[in-house]
Amino acid sequence: MTTQQFLTSAWTWNSAALIATAAALIAYVWAFSMNRRIVYLLAGVAVFMLTLVSPLNALAAGYLFSAHMLQHILLLLIVPALLLMSLPSWVSLGSRSWFVANPFIGWISGVGAMWLWHARLLCNAAVSSQLVNALQIASLLLLGAIFWRQILAPREEERMSPPAAALYLFSACVACSILGILITFSPVSVCPIYAQSLSDPMGILYLVQSNWGITPDKDQQIGGLLMWVPMCFVYLSAIIAQLARWFSDPVVSAPVTDKPL
Amino acid sequence: MNGNTSITATVAHLLTPAERQHWKLAWLSTVDHKRIGVLYMLTGLVFFVVAGVESLVIRLQLAVPNNNLVSPDTYNWMFTMHGTTMIFLVAMPVLFGIMNYILPLQIGARDMAFPRLNALGVWLVPFGGILLHFSFLAGGPPAVGWFAYTPLSEAPYSSQLGVDYWAISLLVLGIGSVSAGINFIVTVLTQRAPGMTLRRLPLFTWMIFMNSFLVILALPILNAGLVMLLIDRLLNGRFFLPFGGGSAIMWQHIFWAFGHPEVYIVAIPAFAILSEVIPVFSRKPIFGHEFVAASTVVIVFLSLLVWAHHMFTVGLGRAVDLFFVAASVLIAVPTGVKLFNWSATMVGGRVRFTTAMLFCVTALLQFLIGGLTGISHATAPLDWQTKNSYYLVAHFHNIFVGLIVFAILGAIYYWFPKMSGRMLSERLGKWVFWLMTIGFNLTFMIQHVLGLAGMPRRTFTYPDLPGWTWMNMVSTIGAFFMAAGSIVFVWDLVSSLFRGKPAGDNPWNAWTLEWATTSPPPHENFDALPPIRSRRPLWDYMNPDRPDPVVPVGGAIDTFRPEKNKAGVMTFIISELGFFGVLILAYLFYNATLKSGPGWQQLDIAKTTIFSVCLFASSFTIWRSEVALLANRRGKMKAWLAATIVLGGIFIVGQGLEYWSLYQNGVTVGLDLFATTFFTLTGFHGLHVSFGLLALLVVLGVAFSRAYKSEDLPALGAVGYYWHFVDVVWVFVFSIVYLWPLLR
Repeated sequence: MTTQQFLTSAWTWNSAALIATAAALIAYVWAFSMNRRIVYLLAGVAVFMLTLVSPLNALAAGYLFSAHMLQHILLLLIVPALLLMSLPSWVSLGSRSWFVANPFIGWISGVGAMWLWHARLLCNAAVSSQLVNALQIASLLLLGAIFWRQILAPREEERMSPPAAALYLFSACVACSILGILITFSPVSVCPIYAQSLSDPMGILYLVQSNWGITPDKDQQIGGLLMWVPMCFVYLSAIIAQLARWFSDPVVSAPVTDKPL
Repeated sequence: MNGNTSITATVAHLLTPAERQHWKLAWLSTVDHKRIGVLYMLTGLVFFVVAGVESLVIRLQLAVPNNNLVSPDTYNWMFTMHGTTMIFLVAMPVLFGIMNYILPLQIGARDMAFPRLNALGVWLVPFGGILLHFSFLAGGPPAVGWFAYTPLSEAPYSSQLGVDYWAISLLVLGIGSVSAGINFIVTVLTQRAPGMTLRRLPLFTWMIFMNSFLVILALPILNAGLVMLLIDRLLNGRFFLPFGGGSAIMWQHIFWAFGHPEVYIVAIPAFAILSEVIPVFSRKPIFGHEFVAASTVVIVFLSLLVWAHHMFTVGLGRAVDLFFVAASVLIAVPTGVKLFNWSATMVGGRVRFTTAMLFCVTALLQFLIGGLTGISHATAPLDWQTKNSYYLVAHFHNIFVGLIVFAILGAIYYWFPKMSGRMLSERLGKWVFWLMTIGFNLTFMIQHVLGLAGMPRRTFTYPDLPGWTWMNMVSTIGAFFMAAGSIVFVWDLVSSLFRGKPAGDNPWNAWTLEWATTSPPPHENFDALPPIRSRRPLWDYMNPDRPDPVVPVGGAIDTFRPEKNKAGVMTFIISELGFFGVLILAYLFYNATLKSGPGWQQLDIAKTTIFSVCLFASSFTIWRSEVALLANRRGKMKAWLAATIVLGGIFIVGQGLEYWSLYQNGVTVGLDLFATTFFTLTGFHGLHVSFGLLALLVVLGVAFSRAYKSEDLPALGAVGYYWHFVDVVWVFVFSIVYLWPLLR
């Protein structure tokens, strides 16, 4: 099989994802009617669908750990962020709930989702079992949303202040980098199911390993690097947005005073 | 004015009448940030002379081909000591000195947050410097380059004491730098004058504030690497020795994970100086303050992420190279933003080319060249060709000398009047400027060509190849121009200190608060402060009819002012992240596969679990102790505190028992990689617990010796933070060392 054949043929039908997408769109229009922010929702569901039906998913299903990692990043960081950004500014996201409003819980959700799903047992199970895979996708979306809520909550007063948000994002980057560094340089396989790839249902093992030159250890390296470097750039982009918020005139401004702070 | 009276007048500036009786102590025992700043700079100047002479020896040796002025060994000593000294004993102390002097003044503070810690930091510099140079008397200095790559720097290949002195001295200097970084952060957070919100910080202070985070994040990574190297060398550890199963590449990762941020640790203060001097001499506020400030944050972030581009020639593999090429090239964006902003500040301004401005504008131009060659190095294939050539030498000297030394010189011409009360000579200053600029470009511009022509660096001599000889000669001549410039500069400093024109409070008509007091400032810095409503309070004060737009107060975080002691301990805890992070990663890396032989099987998991529970319980008891103090129940507070100490003591004794039984079974540091990593990780945790116990004993002693009041709560709170931190570290260490093997 050539690369071109693979890219055209490896699209998978995923009715659950399609139903979820349709439900999200209908629910959005029903709840908020049409508004300009629906663009973010459309972008979010587009990324979501691409993650789950494109050749990326075929590669992640047993061939490439790095493809799985890319899926992981998109589902944890990109899709939930876009979904939160699509909400109108009056929507309140559980400011009374201790659980959702606590930055520590948010941080643990975002970082923990990364660490937890790369425990060898869970990582393997997510590839071999449909059910665990579905659970993984749902949990990534949910935990990602809890993580991003601290930054992207529709209501200004439910977000963290910009310097605190920058620290929150920076420390998340450090925590994920550490895992990325571990995976990149680990002498043992993090997710052995990819290293074995005994069954070759699509017949693309030769294409991947010989034509593309992505051998299992190189594959794991790329996976680790994806988590180490580009993932941090997602956090960095968010930090830049926070800095813009910090230096633009604040919405909540106290009267100017010469009195001691 | 004759010589004698001017000397008397100068002494009057430097010392109060009471201090003249004991003038030596007045400087040696000072905790005043201004004097500490000057001490930092003077120490830096002394070592600048030392490292400068070393560089002249290097250039003299290279002046002609096949030269044998110095032996290859001596040459290796020279470039190792030159690099190490210039970074750790010149650039960092001088910049820390400038920050120390200026930062508290710019925020309208009386002093740094922790004056005694500040004094410790400054005295660690000569201590570290003397340790490093003592190696000359102890069998020869290190000859392994400033990065001391393993395995060359390991005991079998560098058996003399030079590398040990190098590592211990850098450890001392690293601890001093971290203490300074903590102090700067806490000073900005807690010592700001009324009205000086975080968003109103002048750019210089903001950038130093950001830079201090880089200091406390990056230096501990080096400290961890240094203790690992020392354990290898002195205790027969196996971290970086390939034949013992260790990884020599890991040292490079650790070194550059520190080393790349280190470049920015000395470059960001230079950026900060440029951002202060260029607007003042362009008579315009800086163009795009927000962009310069925000791009600093981005630089801090990126600099921690891209160290692997120093290692393209090691052979990390194409995948790793690719990611780090992309990430490294991105650094050009925030630095480019800064260059454009500085340039745009000058456009349309009434530019005055004083010596300070000349140095800063030249620094900007040299940095442009150094930055562009830097981007060329971010491209792995080009890097493979030029990394070990003089092209790289030219590149980084454009940053270290062209940007940083020139910015430092600009800063000294700018702030010397404030520090001494006298102007430096503009006439001599122009001499210094031209000698340095011509000398620098003669020395290093030609080295780009030399490098592309194939001349390798770190070789003590070279054959007489076409073009190499005259280019090296040009380079050597340039170095002597710079030496002449340095001599004129020191002469200018000394003569102006005694005979310079009186400066007045604000000779440059500048805008930030350091110019709102006398020159030099009184001990307490300010009698009164102008109201602070914008980033240029002095401009607003002097131009009441057209002040800057008010910078509004942006909510609680803008006026954030934590309690000083707790903020200090929290910052210290952040700085420990890099240290324990490296030790934990090394443990995980070397124990990824379970090996046969004595190892974790020898660990007594049941006993250690009991001791660990004691340690975890002590987090609860210290919390109860704080609660009791808050409720003013002093007896209870002491009881809970004593319980904490007992529980911590049980843990330490338990760890000692475990070490003893391991030792009985023949498990020592040098046995294998498990033993090396195990003892290093748990040992440094144990050391932290012991320090915590000492701190708790001090608090307990104070509580018994006098009435411990609720105003003293921060002290117990600060120690409490530290105690919780060592417990949290043990959660990780215990899980990784004791529980993880059970799961596999």
